[in-house]
Amino acid sequence: MSEAAILTEGLTKHYGKVEALVDLNLEIPQGEVFGFLGPNGAGKTTTIRTMMDEIRATAGRASILGMDTHAEPVEIRKHVGYVPGDLAMYPNLTGRDTLMYFANLRGGVDWGYVDTLAERLDAQLDKKVGDLSSGNRQKVGLIQAFMSKPEVIIMDEPSSGLDPLVQRELQKMMREVAAEGRTVFLSSHTLSEVQRVAHRVGIIRHGRLIALETVQALRSKAMRQVEIELDKPADVELFKAVEGVTDVRAQNHHVVMTFGGDMGALLKVAEGRYNIVDISTQSADLEEIFLTYYQDEEASA
Amino acid sequence: MLGNVFFKTVRDRWLGWTIATGVVWSFVLLGFAAYSGLDLSILETFPEAYQSMIGLRPGMDAGALSVAAIYGTYGSLTFAAMALAMGAASIAGEERKGTLGLLLANPKSRTHVFVSKVAALVLLIIVATLAMWAISIGTAGMMDIALGDLDVFALNVHMLASTLFYGLLAVAIGAATGNRGAASGASTGVLVVGFLGSGLLPLIEGGEKWAKLFPWYYFSGSEPLYNGIEWGHVALLAGASVVFAVVGLVGFLRRDLKGQSVGVTIIDRLRENPMTKKVADRLAGSARVSSIWLKTASEHQIVLVSACAYVFFVQLMLGPFYAALPKVAFEMLAQLPEGLEVLFAFFGGGDMSTPAGFFQIETFGMMAPIMVMLVTIAVSAGAVAGEESKRTMGLLLANPITRSRVIAEKTWTMALYAAIVGIATFAGTALGSLIAGLDMSMWNIAATCILLTLLGIAGGALALAIGSGTGRKSAAVWGATGVMVALHVLNSIGSVTDDLSFLQKLSPFYYYLGNDPLNKGMNWIHPVVLAVIAAVFIGISFPLFQRRDIRQRD
Repeated sequence: MSEAAILTEGLTKHYGKVEALVDLNLEIPQGEVFGFLGPNGAGKTTTIRTMMDEIRATAGRASILGMDTHAEPVEIRKHVGYVPGDLAMYPNLTGRDTLMYFANLRGGVDWGYVDTLAERLDAQLDKKVGDLSSGNRQKVGLIQAFMSKPEVIIMDEPSSGLDPLVQRELQKMMREVAAEGRTVFLSSHTLSEVQRVAHRVGIIRHGRLIALETVQALRSKAMRQVEIELDKPADVELFKAVEGVTDVRAQNHHVVMTFGGDMGALLKVAEGRYNIVDISTQSADLEEIFLTYYQDEEASA
Repeated sequence: MLGNVFFKTVRDRWLGWTIATGVVWSFVLLGFAAYSGLDLSILETFPEAYQSMIGLRPGMDAGALSVAAIYGTYGSLTFAAMALAMGAASIAGEERKGTLGLLLANPKSRTHVFVSKVAALVLLIIVATLAMWAISIGTAGMMDIALGDLDVFALNVHMLASTLFYGLLAVAIGAATGNRGAASGASTGVLVVGFLGSGLLPLIEGGEKWAKLFPWYYFSGSEPLYNGIEWGHVALLAGASVVFAVVGLVGFLRRDLKGQSVGVTIIDRLRENPMTKKVADRLAGSARVSSIWLKTASEHQIVLVSACAYVFFVQLMLGPFYAALPKVAFEMLAQLPEGLEVLFAFFGGGDMSTPAGFFQIETFGMMAPIMVMLVTIAVSAGAVAGEESKRTMGLLLANPITRSRVIAEKTWTMALYAAIVGIATFAGTALGSLIAGLDMSMWNIAATCILLTLLGIAGGALALAIGSGTGRKSAAVWGATGVMVALHVLNSIGSVTDDLSFLQKLSPFYYYLGNDPLNKGMNWIHPVVLAVIAAVFIGISFPLFQRRDIRQRD
């Protein structure tokens, strides 16, 4: 069992002239929760659908548990649970009917475990799927992916529609899966969710992987928005000189900057010349991290 | 004042009304063409109940028969059914689809939406009824059918009032409850019970006054075709329609909007009841989801049952109807002008002087193929493309099954359903023939139904191939329907024009009725050709689906 849970080599998908995915190389070992981050339309879903053999790569290949996704899709699916993005199910079936249908296609599941999952996620299985709210529908989709205890679980934005309590339970379930040596591939556009569960994060934008980092490394790089209120008008040049500061703007007594370095150093510089009246920091949202990476990438290109 | 909701509703619905008007007209036309100048005294030998229901009267001539029985009865029923379907869809239908909330998020009041939708319904009913009147009078004139003292206009005024009644009844129930199923179900019940009640009760002594309890009585009870407009009855129907509109509006204004919902069926209620839960669970749940083909079968039950019930009952009725027609009628039909021969060719052709030829024109030529393909195209188009349109294919294929298995299991359901329609057609035809003592060969009926089944499978296979290749359900449905209609036309033209007879052999319809199987039995090459056509389309579906990307959105 030394092979990677998921391996992609030069995976590329074009829709006509549109490059949805370009030369993706990933190696995800077993027992890892891998976070796959990117804004809408970045190529996350394209990657996942290629891995599930729903769509076929223009170039390159992907394998799951050592099996080629296009050559052995059925064998792979015996070991994979999947939650598609924008989940749709059969509106006329109840949640339990739906799970029974998929369980039959899989050759049976442990119904005791299904009930445990339903309880943990607070899912309603006796209502028709069409009558459920999108969050409750999502729960049925999640149970469907977890119920056969697959070795790899691939989820495309699984927490959409879920309330925070259920989201937390789902995160717990993902960590448990990894602790058992199984693997989770989690696509998301929510950094906070990924930070809580993932070991490593891949960031994709415009179909290209622009970063592959451990969560710890990512966090240390995270840009913050820092706003300092001073006792007299601020000198922009002074702050520009501090390492890790970008994009400084001053307005009277206020100075606003994007900051990615050691906070102590920044404060030392400010206290040398001013009295600090107030200070607020805001962690940068995901888009800013993307932008940072993106700008880096463009600069180095 | 009415603005966009009105126009959108008219735009969504005009085609349905045009088709309904066309269908009723084509029946009237057929009635004029087939029965003109005949001695119809034989009709009086029909059971009295039957005569009363379809409006037959002693001494009636062909024009009256066509107008009263076909147009006055089936036409009015068709219009009432159209109106109540549209009425049920107007408020409750949008609520069910989940679009009503969005519509009302615009700065338009509920009253505005309601009035716009009702106005669109009323307008379409008026236009369709007027058009029906104009083309019937026009057709009778062109075909030299004397309508004599018949007051066709009065019939139309009654028909208009009656159609409005059922349309607005459905609107009212739908608007007041938000339940589309309740709206169409309850108003269909009122229509059917009223139709039977007002037709049958007068036959019983003292029953006439009870007949007045049913709305259909105020359409036909005064026999407007003979007696002119009975204003009291028209006013009653119109007044009731206005009351329905008001009740519907008030109910709609006062209640909560419902969210998107799939509705509750009888089986759902049984599943909730502890007494019946076990059986109902097995029927609706575990049995239905035990395999792909069974689940596919359960999804298309309604279209199957409707198609089977329709062919069965029509075939059952036709036997006795044929027996009652006088023989002299058919001799005249044999000398029809060439133009009409072409018309008959489109209905499958055939020699009307034999029961087999009569069945061929009346049902096997057109109605039966439409019914079987309605089923097979629905199942096949839903098989691959439908599952993609609903975006469930990705989830289905996340299970350890091949794409080929999905096609294979769903094709099996399609073929099975085609066979069931074939069996229902056989049962209806055979039983009708036995009841009427028509002495038709059971083997030949069976042979024709086998060919019908294979034709249905071929049509379904075409839809499957288009759906597997494109992933688009609408392409599969309309592509297959269009091609089959074109092939039917090809066969019809080939059958009446000697120079073009080679065209026939390109059409699967030739291998269906080309050998006149009801009279002559099976030519064993023909089912083989149909099976090969089906096999080719099913065969190419596998690689077509295997090779392409699954569509994510429609």
